Amino acid sequence: MKGIYIILFTVFFAALINTGCNKKLVEEPQSILTPSFFATTQGFQQGLDAAYAGTRLFWGNQTYFTLTVIGTDEFKRGIDGNSNINIYSSGYDAQNGDVLANWRNAYTFINTCNGLIDNADNVKDIPDATKKRMIAEAKFLRANYYFILVQFHGDITLNKIFQSTPSTSAVRDPMSEAYKFIIQDLKDAIAALPAGPKTGGVLPGKVNAAVARHVLAKVYLTRAGSKAKEANDYADAYTTANDLINNRAALGLSLLQDFGKVFEEGNERNSEVLWTSEHTSNLAFNGPNNSGVTNFSADNVLNHMWVGQYEKKEVAVLRSTLYGRPYIRCTPTLWLTETAFAERVNDTRYNKTFQTVWYANSTNANDYPKWKSPLPPGAPAGAVVGQPKFKLGDTAIYMPGVNKTDAEIAASTYLLIPPRKYDATLGPTMFKYFDTKRANLNFPSIRPVIAYRLAETYLIAAEAAFMTGKITEAVTLTNAVRERAAFPTGNAVSVRIQASDLSIDFFLNERTRELCGELVRWLDLVRTGKLIERVKAFNPEAAGNIQPKHILRPIPQAQIDAVVTGEPYPQNAGW
Amino acid sequence: MQRRLHYYCRLKKLPLWVGIIFCYMICVSTAHAQSTTAGKTVSIKGTITNQSGEPLHGVTVSIKGGSGATATQPDGSFQIEAPENSTLVISSVGYLIHDIKVGSMDQPNFLLRLTENKNQLDQVVVVGYGTRKKSDVTGAIVSISEQAIKDIPAANLAQTLQGQGAGIDVQKSGGNSKPGATPSILIRGSRSVQAGNNPLIVVDGIPFNGNINDLNQDDIVSVEVLKDASSTAIYGSRGANGVILVSTKRGKTGRPVVSYNGYAGTVRALGEYPMLNGEEFALFKRWALVNGIYQNGVPKYTGIDDARLAVDGLSSEELEGIRTGRSTNWQELIYKPGMITNHQLGVSGGSDLTQYAISGGYFKETGVYPGQDFERFSVKLSVDQKLGNRFKVGLNTLNTFTTTNGESANPMAAALRSSPLASPYDSTGNIYNEYVPGSASQVWNVLGNLIPGASVEKRKRFGTFTTLYVDVELLPGLKYRFNSGAEIRSDIYGNFYAARTTNNQGAQSTAQNRTNLRTNYTLENILTYDKTIRKHKINFTGLFGFQEQKEQNNEFRNTNVLADYLQYYNPALTATITAGDADFKKWDIISYMARVNYSFDDRLLLTLTGRSDGSSRLAPGNKYHSYPAFAAAWNISKEKFLGNVASISNLKLRASYGTVGNANIDPYQTLGLLSSVVYNYGDVTTTGVYPSTAPNPNLAWEYTSSANIGLDFGLFGNRISGSVEVYKQWTNSLLLPQTLPASSGIPNRILTNVGKTENKGFELQLSTVNLPSKGRGSFSWTTDLNIFLNRGEITQLANNVTKDVANNWFVGSPIGVHYNYERVGVWQNTKEDTAAAAALGLTVNGVGSVIGQIRVADLNGDKKIDPNNDRKIIGSSQPDWEGGMTNRFGFKGFDLTIMIFARVGGTLFSSLQGGGFVNTYQGTYNNIKTDYWTPTNHQNYYPRPNANYTNSPNRDLLGYFKGTYVKVRTMSLGYNLPQSLINKLGAKNIRVYATAEDPFILFSEFRNKYGGLDPEAGGSSERPSVATLNVDTPPNWSFIFGLNISF
Repeated sequence: MKGIYIILFTVFFAALINTGCNKKLVEEPQSILTPSFFATTQGFQQGLDAAYAGTRLFWGNQTYFTLTVIGTDEFKRGIDGNSNINIYSSGYDAQNGDVLANWRNAYTFINTCNGLIDNADNVKDIPDATKKRMIAEAKFLRANYYFILVQFHGDITLNKIFQSTPSTSAVRDPMSEAYKFIIQDLKDAIAALPAGPKTGGVLPGKVNAAVARHVLAKVYLTRAGSKAKEANDYADAYTTANDLINNRAALGLSLLQDFGKVFEEGNERNSEVLWTSEHTSNLAFNGPNNSGVTNFSADNVLNHMWVGQYEKKEVAVLRSTLYGRPYIRCTPTLWLTETAFAERVNDTRYNKTFQTVWYANSTNANDYPKWKSPLPPGAPAGAVVGQPKFKLGDTAIYMPGVNKTDAEIAASTYLLIPPRKYDATLGPTMFKYFDTKRANLNFPSIRPVIAYRLAETYLIAAEAAFMTGKITEAVTLTNAVRERAAFPTGNAVSVRIQASDLSIDFFLNERTRELCGELVRWLDLVRTGKLIERVKAFNPEAAGNIQPKHILRPIPQAQIDAVVTGEPYPQNAGW
Repeated sequence: MQRRLHYYCRLKKLPLWVGIIFCYMICVSTAHAQSTTAGKTVSIKGTITNQSGEPLHGVTVSIKGGSGATATQPDGSFQIEAPENSTLVISSVGYLIHDIKVGSMDQPNFLLRLTENKNQLDQVVVVGYGTRKKSDVTGAIVSISEQAIKDIPAANLAQTLQGQGAGIDVQKSGGNSKPGATPSILIRGSRSVQAGNNPLIVVDGIPFNGNINDLNQDDIVSVEVLKDASSTAIYGSRGANGVILVSTKRGKTGRPVVSYNGYAGTVRALGEYPMLNGEEFALFKRWALVNGIYQNGVPKYTGIDDARLAVDGLSSEELEGIRTGRSTNWQELIYKPGMITNHQLGVSGGSDLTQYAISGGYFKETGVYPGQDFERFSVKLSVDQKLGNRFKVGLNTLNTFTTTNGESANPMAAALRSSPLASPYDSTGNIYNEYVPGSASQVWNVLGNLIPGASVEKRKRFGTFTTLYVDVELLPGLKYRFNSGAEIRSDIYGNFYAARTTNNQGAQSTAQNRTNLRTNYTLENILTYDKTIRKHKINFTGLFGFQEQKEQNNEFRNTNVLADYLQYYNPALTATITAGDADFKKWDIISYMARVNYSFDDRLLLTLTGRSDGSSRLAPGNKYHSYPAFAAAWNISKEKFLGNVASISNLKLRASYGTVGNANIDPYQTLGLLSSVVYNYGDVTTTGVYPSTAPNPNLAWEYTSSANIGLDFGLFGNRISGSVEVYKQWTNSLLLPQTLPASSGIPNRILTNVGKTENKGFELQLSTVNLPSKGRGSFSWTTDLNIFLNRGEITQLANNVTKDVANNWFVGSPIGVHYNYERVGVWQNTKEDTAAAAALGLTVNGVGSVIGQIRVADLNGDKKIDPNNDRKIIGSSQPDWEGGMTNRFGFKGFDLTIMIFARVGGTLFSSLQGGGFVNTYQGTYNNIKTDYWTPTNHQNYYPRPNANYTNSPNRDLLGYFKGTYVKVRTMSLGYNLPQSLINKLGAKNIRVYATAEDPFILFSEFRNKYGGLDPEAGGSSERPSVATLNVDTPPNWSFIFGLNISF
């Protein structure tokens, strides 16, 4: 009988354990956040912050730089840059990593914006006014992300609502639908956002109605040049941009007197700036700090992109934080420096855009080039065979911007590089993004990136005015930008243009002079239908390769591969 | 590409094996000695040991046809009086019966080493939740003996198992040969893509969740690998990938036995990677410039003889190198011999009521790159205590402390890319701790890492795995067992890299700091009932079990440590905490199980198993799944019609079918995820969150059904024994991570239950006693052989698509295929090729020209190379077949063991040639040495150097190689000191040995023809099916001397 009791006890004991156990099968996530967090006050705020953080993947990131700057009439591939996409060779195909990354980046943060906008009604304890403004911010950001996609790819998938359940199907919606959605988002944003970047309480980097107007004008202008164009697009672009310009004083906005101050380090909050994608010297919040992208956190690497191999010229210029990490992704075309920027006296912008001189900074005597015997004809008076040509702090490399003969080059104390000697390793170096305050030579920039500024508003308005026959207005608006380019040494009157100067090519040239390197060129060329013509004319490496299909970026192969339900995802023509 | 199965045809392709098998089959002698009787008796005194010389207790020594018999003492000694010229029969469970002729003289120093019997029917085999006599086993189980484990003095158990059993595929993960690295283990191929393919490891009855390095294999007495569903179903939810049952040593009744095992030796690199020397590199650079530098659309250089190339692209340091004929071998500078050592001291013994075993071990291995080492201290205690007649309690505790240094130390990208024309030292002879001149300012001097304190990476791991049981005999035949186990592990990781190392390349120093605490406990209530009614034997097992694991991680990453000597120890003393991360994971499993074993007359055997598991990791409503299994076996050799066939000592036919589950995924996958990203508004900093994973409210079990037919056989008194298995497995509701279209805005892959896979295979396990031991003076030879093959394929994917390129899954192909373009050579500078390339729309002029670059096939012939139509499956990680063979020879106290294994077929991908940075052909830094294309060298394999491309286009296609190789895993020569000498020393046994580990790799195209070092490339432990060799510190081989001694 004793055995029976033991059995009963055992069964009872086992049953006892069992009853408490099913609760054990409930998940206890204590270190992760789930999508329902968006429906809380704090989640709503943090979601919006992430939607802003997504802008770093475009303004400042190498991917967006690659897609917008190189392979144009302005810049060609630098020796350290990726070749295929820059020169449109056959290796540039639907598997291109930059095209995929850009596509994925935009959609990831579109979905973040969707999550906020769709959850807004569930968030109860945010004051209505605050909530409205936050929704407007999300809509502005969403419009920007879609605008990027539609310009690169044409017809795109238009997700208007939060994607919270996994789906392996996707369709391409017409470009016209995307533009309508973008315009509505921007209109909604304008209605609810604070007036401008200088309006009280608007933190640096926060969006505002002024920048929303600027983007809306740009969207109209862009749509006007696309297959989705509508009759009033140029007129709407003009009105929208012009309204902003006319209102500028009230908003505390104005063109700076000196073009050179616009991109001055530390002056990113100047009155010409409409909106920036932010970065900070607080490294924990600046990005992954590996000069790249990790988990959708991106660094501003624009400071590195244009820096040539100055240190390899053997002229006592060593790698330094000032001159930058010499790993050159792109170099100016001869058209850019010699034609677009041909005027350098009255228009000061060439000298305020390009670095053309490097000073010796090596403290090692062996690094200094020495005069060889015999001394070249025309050598300077103090030249002595076997002695260094120059010393610490002297000019070591100089690009005069005009031709020099071989004899002049040989006789020069410093390395003299005339335009015919520019190559993929070194040319005039775009220094709008130089950053001397970053932590280390190899580090990414801590400077905010100016995404939109008032000078472009003028050029948008001018181009739209020209397209709608408002020639006088077009001339006035353009001259506003050109006159300040003369400051301080040029003659402001002589840089003015006449109605007869205007043409679409003129506007492209003017945008080059004003906006060179500001992540807009490829899109400008596509908008104006001039990509192929101008690349063929001005970018020798890419000229032989570019084809009509290149005016759209391919749909990333990974996107096509992942659509396994429903209709296959269509590729762009020719890819 | 569809591969049809031809199991037996494949076997025809085994010339090496087949030859060897037949050779020794012929040698097997079946002659038996005849006994005679005479009047005189002789006295025999001696010792009986196992093959490694350890004394055996309780061995029966009897006189054939006579009446005398005795048994050996705990020290293996015995004494018997036997008639002159009679025959002694020496038998013990687990060993072959030995007949020894006595002769006519007294033998005071008789010594016999018993030969293991691989297939003895009385041998007890550990199965899930209990043990079975071998003759009663119904499932497919491989037993690996203590002897086999001892033969291979490896760092961990996984390495020991390599090549030891059919169906067990052990490979270095990613080719990682660093000390402390753990190989990947696959049992019968891979079936899951996300829920893991790692087998479940059960130590002394309790699931073990530690690292394989947390076990000291010196503490292990046997390993059984459960392969078919009937055997593994008992581990229901976790057995789908096979189960490895590990039994550790326990004390035996008798006088205390003290034993010491130890070895020490040297570790050497298997070779150097083939890099260009100084002169070759200078030429290579010139070609890269000639081919890739264009100015305004025209080539800058007229040709390889262009005078400007004497200086262009070369740093002044390199120019000096050319002048002085310098050629730095960077690899030589960083490799140095490592060492390996192991010591194990144990005491075991006990009385009738109490048995105990205590042991302590120490292992250390240092790698061939300074700073890589692995060290393990272990302490084990087991006690079994009887309390009265009904109760028994036992405790077993395994405790280890391990330290791993440099587990990810991999300077190879820097070491291999450094310009051989540059010097590692400055003019004063100090290390030039800077970018190596002439290597694109990206390659830091690797010697900077070797400065003491500059590069520190340490993992300290402490853990205990303790099991406790209480046995109660409730009624005759009815037993209750409470079995519990607790595993607690603390893992502390830190790294520090000074500014001037290859890691930080002159930027700020960095440090990282991670702590992990994991607790896991298991509680099991097991009821067993045994009943025999005449010829019917019934055994019932019932189980209720519960397991819970909690894991917590904290991490800090810092830059700019204020003083280098602080290393990673204080995040507060750094300029910036760049990131912190942490996670918490908890999961639970609840299990119910019942099993009935029935046997009739020991001839017919039946096993029925049912198990139901609930997992916290799955979605509500889908948490539970039930797993039935059955197995039957027929002991044909016990049938009367075979009873008279003397040559057949065992013949058993087995069949089983069952289902086993798998939910070995990270918790919280059903919930979706928001990931964090940092931002700032001016000085206001913030952390935002964005949706990165979508929730899946339907996540359920993945389960595998499998059928197995096996035949066990033993011939000629088990001189030849083994088994043959044929199986097929169907895996359903595959836990597949799906890549969503990027346009969904959900960037991470989502786990879903879609898809199916199948595996089928054939396994042969054979043990032969070619020449049995006849005493100390005789020559003995035994062989263990296994040959197996597995064919896996995906049979269904989500939405019934036949391929999922984004994830690399293809219906009809195994998991882990290589999908890419087909390489057909190099575009030559001929009219034909130029026209053909142009016809494909490829660029044939200017800087982007494809001439001299790798040519791929236009598979669909549409005059266009595009990824949709021109990629195909060009290989798979799955080998055609694998096998292992161990030969043991004994003669006059010497023993020689040679263990080899082979992996034949399959394709491996090597990053050395096809990835990484060392075969880019850009010419900006050093390259592996190949016969590259030039306008005058029209070879058709390697592309032209081209400064224009960061990586030569389609260079990844250079990384695929045939995976075939044969590896000599171990060659070991041992010597047992003569008994007389041992006795003088007061010992029971002394053996010395020398072992070479991994000394030879044969038949490897990758190694012999293409400059690879070691073709052994398993996937990661998470994804073992995708074989990739990383560019890493070189694999090695070792040579050791060892000593086993017991008192």
